Amino acid sequence: MGAFFTSRIVSDILIGAAQGVLVGLIALSLVLIWQSTHVLNFAQGAMAMFAAFCGMTMLEHGLNYWVCVLISLVAAMLLGGVTERVLVRPLYGKAEINSIVVMVGFLGILESGASSIWSGMARQLTSPLSQTYFTLGSKTLYLSPFSLFQIGSALTLMLGVAALFRFTKIGLQLRASALAPEVSRLLGVRVSRMLTLGWIISSAVGAFAAIIIATSGSGLFPSNMDGFFVFGFIAAAIGGLESPGGAILAGLLIGIIQTFVADYLSPSWVAFTPVLILVLSQLVRPAGIFTKNTTRRL
Amino acid sequence: MQISNLTVRYGAIEAIRDVTFTAMPSRITAVLGANGAGKTTLLRTISGLVQPASGSIVIEGVELIGRATDDIARLGVGHVPEGRGVIAEFTVEENLRLGAMAFDIDLAAGLDEQYQQFPVLGERRKQYASTLSGGERQMLAMARALIAQPRLLLLDEPSLGLAPLVAAELMTTIRELCATKNLSVLLVEQNAKGALRIADDAVVLSVGRVVANGSAAEVASDDQLRQYYLGLVQ
Amino acid sequence: MKITQILLRLRYSSLGRLVLALLGTVVAICVVLLVSAQSDTYIANAGAMTIAILGLSLLTGWSGQVSIGNSGFMAVGAFTTGIWANHHQSSPIIISLLLSILTGAIAGLLVGIPATRLKGPYLAGMTLAFVTAMVPFIQSLGKLTGGSGGLFFANLSSPSWFANLSGDPQNFIVANYRWAATVSVVITGVAYYFMSNLFASRAGRAMRLVRDNDVAAELMGVNLGRVRVGAFVISAAYAGLAGSLVALLSGVARADNFGLALSIEILSLLVLGGIGTLSGALMAGLLAAYASTLIAKLNALFGLNPYSNLGSNSQGIIFGLLLVVTMLTAPQGMAGLLKKISHLRARKEAE
Ligand SMILES: Nc1ncnc2c1ncn2[C@@H]1O[C@H](COP(=O)(O)OP(=O)(O)OP(=O)(O)O)[C@@H](O)[C@H]1O
Ligand SMILES: [Mg+2]
Repeated sequence: MGAFFTSRIVSDILIGAAQGVLVGLIALSLVLIWQSTHVLNFAQGAMAMFAAFCGMTMLEHGLNYWVCVLISLVAAMLLGGVTERVLVRPLYGKAEINSIVVMVGFLGILESGASSIWSGMARQLTSPLSQTYFTLGSKTLYLSPFSLFQIGSALTLMLGVAALFRFTKIGLQLRASALAPEVSRLLGVRVSRMLTLGWIISSAVGAFAAIIIATSGSGLFPSNMDGFFVFGFIAAAIGGLESPGGAILAGLLIGIIQTFVADYLSPSWVAFTPVLILVLSQLVRPAGIFTKNTTRRL
Repeated sequence: MQISNLTVRYGAIEAIRDVTFTAMPSRITAVLGANGAGKTTLLRTISGLVQPASGSIVIEGVELIGRATDDIARLGVGHVPEGRGVIAEFTVEENLRLGAMAFDIDLAAGLDEQYQQFPVLGERRKQYASTLSGGERQMLAMARALIAQPRLLLLDEPSLGLAPLVAAELMTTIRELCATKNLSVLLVEQNAKGALRIADDAVVLSVGRVVANGSAAEVASDDQLRQYYLGLVQ
Repeated sequence: MKITQILLRLRYSSLGRLVLALLGTVVAICVVLLVSAQSDTYIANAGAMTIAILGLSLLTGWSGQVSIGNSGFMAVGAFTTGIWANHHQSSPIIISLLLSILTGAIAGLLVGIPATRLKGPYLAGMTLAFVTAMVPFIQSLGKLTGGSGGLFFANLSSPSWFANLSGDPQNFIVANYRWAATVSVVITGVAYYFMSNLFASRAGRAMRLVRDNDVAAELMGVNLGRVRVGAFVISAAYAGLAGSLVALLSGVARADNFGLALSIEILSLLVLGGIGTLSGALMAGLLAAYASTLIAKLNALFGLNPYSNLGSNSQGIIFGLLLVVTMLTAPQGMAGLLKKISHLRARKEAE
C-alpha cells in the first residue's frame, strides 16, 4: 500500500493537485467576474499580486502570517470594489476590445506600480506550516503540512463560494444580476451593488491564491502571477468561462497534466501544455467543455 | 400617477411625444395602440430603464424621473416586462423569492399567497422556469411582481402568445387583483377588446402621441377610434 | 491647409500612395541626417516599433482581433536574425529581414489557425498565453538561442560610401547611428507602403467588414476563417520584421526583451495613436520615437532617479495609465481627436 502512495504516478498527481487547486481558484475568480459583468479581467493576477504585497510585506515588520493574510484579503476586496466602480463601470455595454485594452493597461500599471513600491526582487514568505514532504518508510510521500493546507483551504474556499451563491439571499441576487440584470433591477435588486460585490469576492479569491503561490513557490514578486494567470484563464476558458465548477475542474486537470509533462517529457514543454489543451478543447467544443450548447448571439 | 409632457427619443426617433395623462389609483388604465406606438417605451420610461428627453412622472407626490430602476421598484412599482422576463435558469420558487428579496415582507406568507392565487405555480415550485408553458410563465411573472405587494403594476402585453381562453382568464384575474389588492394597473395591450373589457380607463397612443384618453366605455364606443387605432370592426 | 488636403487625397490612388510613402521616407531621411546621433537611435528604434504597430493595427484595428502576443512574433523574428547572423556572418541584411518575415509569418499561421476560431477575450487570452509561453520556451532552447543570456552578433555598421556622404568620414560611430536610422526609416517606408495598399484593397475592406459585422460579411461571401488567419499571418510577418530590425539595431536578441511588457507597449502606442486607421498607427510610431525621451524628461521634472524603483518603472506606469485613460475618454486615440477637430473646423468654415 505504501509503495502505491509513493509511486511516481501518485506523486505526480499529488504535486499536480496542489498546483491545480490554485489554478482552479484563479479560474474561479475569473469566472465570477465574467459571469456577472462579461469582462475578462486581464488584471486579475496583477490585482491579486498587488493585494498580496499590501499585506504580506508586513511579515517583515514581525506581524503574524495569518494577520498578514487577513490584511491582504481586505486590501484585495477594496481593490476589487474600487476597480469595478472606477475602471470597469464605464465599460459596460461597450465593445469587447475596450474592456480588454483597459484591463491590460491596468495590468501594466499594477505590475510597474508594485515594482516601484516594493522593487522587482522576489521576497520569500516564511511559511507558517512545514513544507517538508512526509515520508512513508524510506520513500517520500509528496504531501507536506503546507500542501495539505493548500489543497484543503482551496477546496474549502471553493465550497464556500458555491454555498454563498447557492444558498444565501445575496447569492440569489448575485446570480440573478448576472443572468438578467434588467429584470433584476425591475424587481428592486441593487444590481450595480451586486456587480461590485462580485468583483470584491473574485478579488479576494484571487488574492488568496496569490498568497499561497508566493508562499509555496518562488516568493512574491511583481510578475509572479503572470504564468498562473494564464493557466487560470485557460482553465476558465476550457470550462466555457460561465461554469465555476468546470473552471475548477479544468484547473485541477491542468495542474496534474503539467506535472506529468514535466516529469515524463520535459520541463520546457510545461508552459506550452495549457495552450495546447486550450486549442484542443476549443476545437472540440468552442463553447467550453462544461457548458450546454448555446446559439450565437447576433 | 401623473405623466406630463413626456417626450422620449432614441437618437433621432421620437418614440413618445409630449404625452400627458393621469392613471387613477385603484383602477385599471389600459394603454392601447398599434405596433411601435410607444407603449413599451412608456412603461420602460416609468421604470427608469429609459431616460426621457423631457417631462415628468409623479407617483404619490414623488418624481420618478432621474431615479434608478431599482429605487423605482422599491417605491412600489411592479413591472412585468414584455416577454415576461422570468429567469429560465431559476426554479419557480427562486424566481418568486427573487421578487420578494428587495422588500420587507414575510417570505413564507408571500409565497403561500401566490401559490393560492396561482395553484399551478405551487405544483411546479421546484421546476425550472425554462420548463414552464407560456401561460405558466406569464403567471409566474405576475406572481413575482405581486409578491412584492406593489401599489402600481405595469403589465406589458400579458396576453401575448396566450390562447384566447387563457388570455380571457388572465384578464379576469387582473380585474380581481385590482379590486382585492387596492392596486393600480397600467395595462398595455394589443388585444384591445380584452383590455377594454376589464379596464376602467383607457389611453390610446399612435406614433408616440395620445390620440384619445377617457373612460374605457367611451373609448370602446367611439367608432372612429375602434376603426382607425384599435382595429376593432363590428 | 490646401497642401495637406492634396496630400491626403493622394492616398486614394495607388500611385499616390507610392508618392506619399516616398515623400515620407525622404523627409524622414533628411531628419535623420540633420538631428543628433542620440536622436537617431530613437528614430531607428521608433521605425521598428512603427512596423510592429502597423502589424497590430491590421490585426486589432481592422480585423478586430485583439492580440497581446505580437511581441512573441517579434521574438521569432529577432532570433531568426540572430541565428542567421551567427551562421552566415557576411550575408546581406536583406536576407535576414526576409527570413524573419517568413518565420514570423509561419509562426503567425501556427498561432492564427487555432486562434481565429476564438473570439474576443478568448483570443486575447490565447495570445497572452502564447507570449508568456514563448519567453521560457526560447530560453530553454540552450545553445541555439543562447538561453537566458541571449544571442550576440554584429549589428548594423555603415558602409564607407555612406560615412563619406553623411559628413565626417573619420567619425564612424556617428555614421553608424545615421546608417542604422536610415535603414530603419527606409524599411518602415516600404512596410508602410505595403500596408497602405492593403488597407485600400478588397482584402482590407473585407477585414473591416468582418470586424464590424461578421455575420453580414459571411452572408456577402467573405470567407471569415481565411480573412482572420490572413490578418494573423500578415500581422505576425510585420512583427517578425520589426523584431529582426530591433535585433539588427542592437546586435542582441534576448527573449525577455520580447515579453508581455513589449506587447503592452505596442498596444498602448496603437491605442494612443488611434486604432483602425493608418494615420493612427503612424502617429503611434512618432510617439514611440519620443516616448523614452519624454519619459526621461518627466523623470527629471519630478526629480526621479532613473535607476530608482519608481524611476525605472515610471515608463510602465505611464503607458498603463495612458492606455486606460485613452480607452475610457477618447477610444479613437489621437487620430480620432484630430479628425474631430478638423471636422469642427470644417463646419465652422462652412457656416
Ligand atoms: N432601443 C431602441 N432604440 C431605437 N429605437 C427604439 C428602441 N426601442 C424602441 N424603439 C422604437 O420606438 C418606437 C416605439 O417602440 P415601442 O417598443 O415602445 O412600441 P410598442 O408600442 O411597445 O410596440 P409593440 O406593440 O410592437 O410592442 C418604435 O418605432 C421602435 O422602433
Ligand atoms: Mg411593446
